Amino acid sequence: AGIRTLCILADSREISSGPEVISYLKMSLGVKVEVCSLGGCDYIVSSRLAVERKSQSEFANSANRSKLVDRIQHLQHLFDRVCLIIEKDRIKQGETSRTFQRTRYYDSTLSALISAGVQVLFSSSQEETAGLLKELGLLEQRKNTGIDVPTEVKGHKQEVMQFYLSIPNISYITALNLCQRFDSIRQMANSSVQVISARAHVSAQKAEELYRYVHYMFEAEMVA
Amino acid sequence: MAGIECTPVRAGASSVPCGHAIGSEKWRGTELARLLQGKIKLVFEDGLGLVDFHLSNRTCILYISESDLVSGNAFRRRLVRFRKACNLNGIVIAEKTRLSDQYYPPVQNFVVLELGMALLPVTNQNEAAQLIFNLVQERSREGNSNPFMRKKCFQLPDASLLQTVQKIPGVGKVKALQLLQHFPSIHKLSNASVAQLETVVGRTIALSIHSFFTQ
Repeated sequence: AGIRTLCILADSREISSGPEVISYLKMSLGVKVEVCSLGGCDYIVSSRLAVERKSQSEFANSANRSKLVDRIQHLQHLFDRVCLIIEKDRIKQGETSRTFQRTRYYDSTLSALISAGVQVLFSSSQEETAGLLKELGLLEQRKNTGIDVPTEVKGHKQEVMQFYLSIPNISYITALNLCQRFDSIRQMANSSVQVISARAHVSAQKAEELYRYVHYMFEAEMVA
Repeated sequence: MAGIECTPVRAGASSVPCGHAIGSEKWRGTELARLLQGKIKLVFEDGLGLVDFHLSNRTCILYISESDLVSGNAFRRRLVRFRKACNLNGIVIAEKTRLSDQYYPPVQNFVVLELGMALLPVTNQNEAAQLIFNLVQERSREGNSNPFMRKKCFQLPDASLLQTVQKIPGVGKVKALQLLQHFPSIHKLSNASVAQLETVVGRTIALSIHSFFTQ
């Protein structure tokens, strides 16, 4: 243990919004970064942990409230653990640093996040964010929840991935675990809650949710 | 068990009524206490040990000042003792100023990643008062009003199921419906033989569905 390279999944949109985060992770920190379309999630650091990255100004702007709520709620449904990194805005050349005005909205949002069990981290730059992502990944590795499946999906497996991703509340990493750790969809569908939980690296509760979906009896009247 | 000195919680201090907070005696007369008193009911008590403030609902505040941060590791021992002594939710508030800024990242790694506690930066006692006020408000809110809480959704999965079946190559909405009417769950559909599938769809599609599930 410990020798395995750390692997982190990054959403393709992060290439434009956080290019330095990804390059620091790859170049300076030696982390394997797989860029994929994660659909509503910035980084996946382990089988159960999603990390959302927000600039301080974006986070502090109350006009973004409903967007933030939707996003975090979405992540809470998909992952056992959710972490939010609030990153200081980059100061462009020639711009003097603006003093950040702390508002009531800012404090009440932080309070609500903490009380909902969301982990909140503060970063002063994209470089520091990369360091935090690595630390989070190492911690998850020590808890044996790190990403240790092949992240590349080829041929027939791509279609299988799309099938798993269409299941409600299944994250990209869970779909990947299902895809790589079961020989076939049939094998997964015939598995018990315990086996699904162990192979897909999900909580018993999540595994049971999936089991119920697989065994749910369709009624055409419900979609008419 | 832990001696009196190690007990961070005075008996009863964990059940603080709504809109109240219990503050350690050492905060009496401070700027922070003065600012809080106008907004919440703050009661001072002796012998809170490691804790600076008890909020309602098993939550308490441990405060790290600018000079604590700058002057070394004494506060680390305090936090570790707190973590070992009780299972209350500890929120650490730290004064992150121009002077203490450089000490913040390692402290964050220690508090959040190693100890698993929450750490929130403020620049002065004024900001701390505002933050503690909001934390008290949050704790006394009705259970369902936190928008970030995990909510159970009681959506029937029929529509999703129809979507999922359409992810099988060669299966559109019409075939998905026909398939689900004969094999009403993913479990049944994935276990259907080619011959069984052929009663619903053509041989080519039946073969491709079968191989999709078994490959």
